[in-house]
Amino acid sequence: MSTVVLLLSAAATLLVGAVLSLAVAHRRHGAGWVAVAAMGGAAVLAWVVVLRTFSAGPDPAVTLLGVPGLGAGLTLAVDGLSAVFLAIAATIGVLTTLFAVEYLDRYPSDSVAKYYPLLLLLFVGIVGVVSTQDLFFFLVFWELMTVTSYFLVVFEGESRAAHQAGLKYFVMNQAATLGMVAAALVLWREGGSFHFETLRPALERLLVREPWLGHGVLLLFFVGFATKAGILPMGAWLPHAYPAAPTSATAAFAGAMSKLGIYGLVRVFLTLVPVSSAMTAWGWVIALAGTASLFVGTLTALKQDDAKRLMSFHVVGQVGYMFLGVGVGLVLLPSNPWLGSLAVSAGIFHLLNNALYKTALFLGAGAVHTRTGTRSLNAMGGLGPLMPWTAGAALVGSLAIAGVPPLNGFASKWLLYATGILGGRGSPLLVILVLVAMFISLVTLASFLKYYGSAFLGPPAENRASGGGADGPPGGRPAPAPSRGRPPMGDVGPLLLLPQGVLTAGCVLVGLFPWVPLGAIQEGVVGVLAQVDPYGAAGGIPPESLGSHPALGLALGEAGLALWAPLPAALALGLFALLVYFGLQRAAGAEVRQVPVWVCGEEEDPAALRYGSGSFYLPFKHAFRGVYPTVRVQPPPFPSPLRRALNPDRWLYLPLAGWVVRVSRAVARTHVGVPQVYLLWIVLGAAAVVAVVLLSFG
Amino acid sequence: MNASWGNLLLALVNAALVLLLSPLVEGLLRKGKAFVHSRRGPPIFQPYLDLFKLLGKEDLRTSNDLFYRAAPSLSLASVLLLAALVPMGAAPPLGFAGDIVVVIYVAAMSAVLLILVAYGSGSPYAFVGGSREMMVLLAVEPVVAVTLVVGAMKSGSLATAGILEWNAAHGPAISMILAGVALFLALQAQAGKLPFDIPEAEQEVMGGPLVEQSGPRLALLRWTLWAKQLVFAFLLVELFFPWPRTGWWIVDLPLALVKVLLVLALVALVDVVNPRLRVDQAMGYFGRVAVSSLAALAFAVIGM
Repeated sequence: MSTVVLLLSAAATLLVGAVLSLAVAHRRHGAGWVAVAAMGGAAVLAWVVVLRTFSAGPDPAVTLLGVPGLGAGLTLAVDGLSAVFLAIAATIGVLTTLFAVEYLDRYPSDSVAKYYPLLLLLFVGIVGVVSTQDLFFFLVFWELMTVTSYFLVVFEGESRAAHQAGLKYFVMNQAATLGMVAAALVLWREGGSFHFETLRPALERLLVREPWLGHGVLLLFFVGFATKAGILPMGAWLPHAYPAAPTSATAAFAGAMSKLGIYGLVRVFLTLVPVSSAMTAWGWVIALAGTASLFVGTLTALKQDDAKRLMSFHVVGQVGYMFLGVGVGLVLLPSNPWLGSLAVSAGIFHLLNNALYKTALFLGAGAVHTRTGTRSLNAMGGLGPLMPWTAGAALVGSLAIAGVPPLNGFASKWLLYATGILGGRGSPLLVILVLVAMFISLVTLASFLKYYGSAFLGPPAENRASGGGADGPPGGRPAPAPSRGRPPMGDVGPLLLLPQGVLTAGCVLVGLFPWVPLGAIQEGVVGVLAQVDPYGAAGGIPPESLGSHPALGLALGEAGLALWAPLPAALALGLFALLVYFGLQRAAGAEVRQVPVWVCGEEEDPAALRYGSGSFYLPFKHAFRGVYPTVRVQPPPFPSPLRRALNPDRWLYLPLAGWVVRVSRAVARTHVGVPQVYLLWIVLGAAAVVAVVLLSFG
Repeated sequence: MNASWGNLLLALVNAALVLLLSPLVEGLLRKGKAFVHSRRGPPIFQPYLDLFKLLGKEDLRTSNDLFYRAAPSLSLASVLLLAALVPMGAAPPLGFAGDIVVVIYVAAMSAVLLILVAYGSGSPYAFVGGSREMMVLLAVEPVVAVTLVVGAMKSGSLATAGILEWNAAHGPAISMILAGVALFLALQAQAGKLPFDIPEAEQEVMGGPLVEQSGPRLALLRWTLWAKQLVFAFLLVELFFPWPRTGWWIVDLPLALVKVLLVLALVALVDVVNPRLRVDQAMGYFGRVAVSSLAALAFAVIGM
């Protein structure tokens, strides 16, 4: 079967799954399993496409559904770059859907009919975005993604915060998409078609003839993709929308959907922009935007005490690393294609790693949420012994995101730094950006040590088992009854643990064997370059420049300018640790005794002595206060007659109700409760009747 | 650059060297400090006796987590791995496995493990100490990163051996000297010496991260700290002050060791004449050092 047939059957599987899960939505778990089956089937098909693309080379593009009058057509093709994103989206899709089956029990008052069908449609959009070669249909699928994900954000029907966050998400992303539509129309006017291959010369001509318009088009694309990816300030929606959505959807957003912002960025700036000074200039813009975002996002994340909000700000920070990688690559490509392509690969590799550990971390936060009913780090603590598997996954995820070798986060950061420093001999500003990224990597470490320390270590918090918690959803499952010190609760079920376990194993394996995914990514990037610029940039990249020597790890060139071999390092670390443990710690034969924590002999409730998550790193947080300015945006004035017409409460119901109330008050005033007054009314009434009768007949 | 079992064996030699020498160096430093205080001071071999005694003492644990149990050994192992990545009189045995970026991250590992041990012990003092440790790390690591990147900019290679060869061959450069001075300032905090022993601060938080550690666990964490100061001193003298370089291991190693002792004696001198800083003062200080060390980067860019 060809790529196109496989892709179409994947999309069909997802659509059939969407309809079926809608049909059986009254059975919550049944609909979930239908969605898992559909997502799993589609993922297998997608992986077949990925493996075929990397083993046999990309299939030629096939155009279905041509719209000749418009110069658009649904052209499907999967090259190396698309294949990487397809693989990530397929994997994350299956795991997060599997997590959702049991997780959505948290929301008994919200029907799963507004979850699974929309989630499956979202993945149809994702598959479409990465596999189309036509800007028109790219934007159509993009829009499908935005709309379906909006409904996932506002899944929790009774939550006002979710609706506000969803509105913010929808408005910002729609504005960004409109900008991209405008940019696409400008290119279409110039090139006469929406196909990527005709857009490239069109943009090249535009950049020469009308530079302002050409760069304006690129600015609109940049803003569009940065908004989706969550680069500040365009990504200001993200820290609101991510915590509002159910965690299983948040994990899918973080792992798959927002990554497509990077895909679009790489696709447009690598294939459409000519390898020239324009590419370098936009590389600087992207790298600076990425650095600013990782600086502000991560430092703001450090201050958060809500687990999901903390991680959402880290999404902003981590996307900054990816933008930095892509930006450094674009800066270096015209002058040093080899380093440039490696830097772009570093950005995409970081994306892959981030998809693994960030999804695992979000799912872990969700698992904790189902057990404790709270997301506030101040109300957790001591969960490690109670939820050992979740704690283990959270520890590996935290160390991976912080870049502790030999986990996967380090491998991509290493390549990013290495390319930046080596490229920095020509442009020193790159080195400053790399140093900022290194510093922020430590801030990430601090933040996740705080998360792990306050959620899983230390004494349990007093108010853990107080039911729904401060920010839990109204319909949330109450935690088990409290008992002093150790509430009787175990780890979450295997359905919630399995996705975390798979992703954690992925973090370790990618960390130890980074050349496998990195080789594929580099192949994809070089393939795209060779397609658009076979004699210029791609010619300067030595084949097999990376990842061909597993035993050596990743060596930049024969001279070994930058080196990282995870296997020998991990082997040495493990060997030393075993030698130290058995040769020193255990050899002396010291006795071990379990003791309570010593607090100077005072008899104190451990919960009262807890170091709250707000107390961590106070002087440091104080030094960096105000890096995330809060700007109040006034809503634009709405035409007032229209607003009044759309508000019948105001001009129909409320006046009517007021009138009824006034009349009944007036009537009620006659009822005073004194018999003589009633008698007087009767006498007066009788007199009035007599008078009327006499007057009319007399 | 061949990965082989021979390299791993050499790494073991390096590790054993650091493991055996670091208590002796600490003993010498204690003697030096006592000299400044006009005391007689403990015997030079006292740190060995301390370790020996601690290894056999009862291990009182407040947590029985798998990771908590393994952390002190991993912490010492990470410093031994660092020792295999840093040149000591010869090219680093695991130099093929890691460059300066790896050195920066592996150097931070022992602090990460110490912080996790602190949070895992559950003591409020340990939480305060761990939080301080992280803040000191946040302040110091950028300085280390800037100085090592200066070396990479000058030599055009990120490999520690590459920087060492370039510096030994192309003589002193202003940028490298400046970077070396900045790294020396960072060494004070990396070694946990006054005025930067803020995380431990016995008089305030009773040893901070170490408050609940006893017996062999305390021994290993102490050893980690001593080994780390020795390895960092080696990193400083080998990358930034490698002259004279003969190329023979048998001559270069004792030479480097003498330089290391000189550097550490200076560290001890600063330790003994300074009061402890508050953590915000320390962060401000290292912030200024980091920004000033950008001058070294600027010199490196203009080729000085």
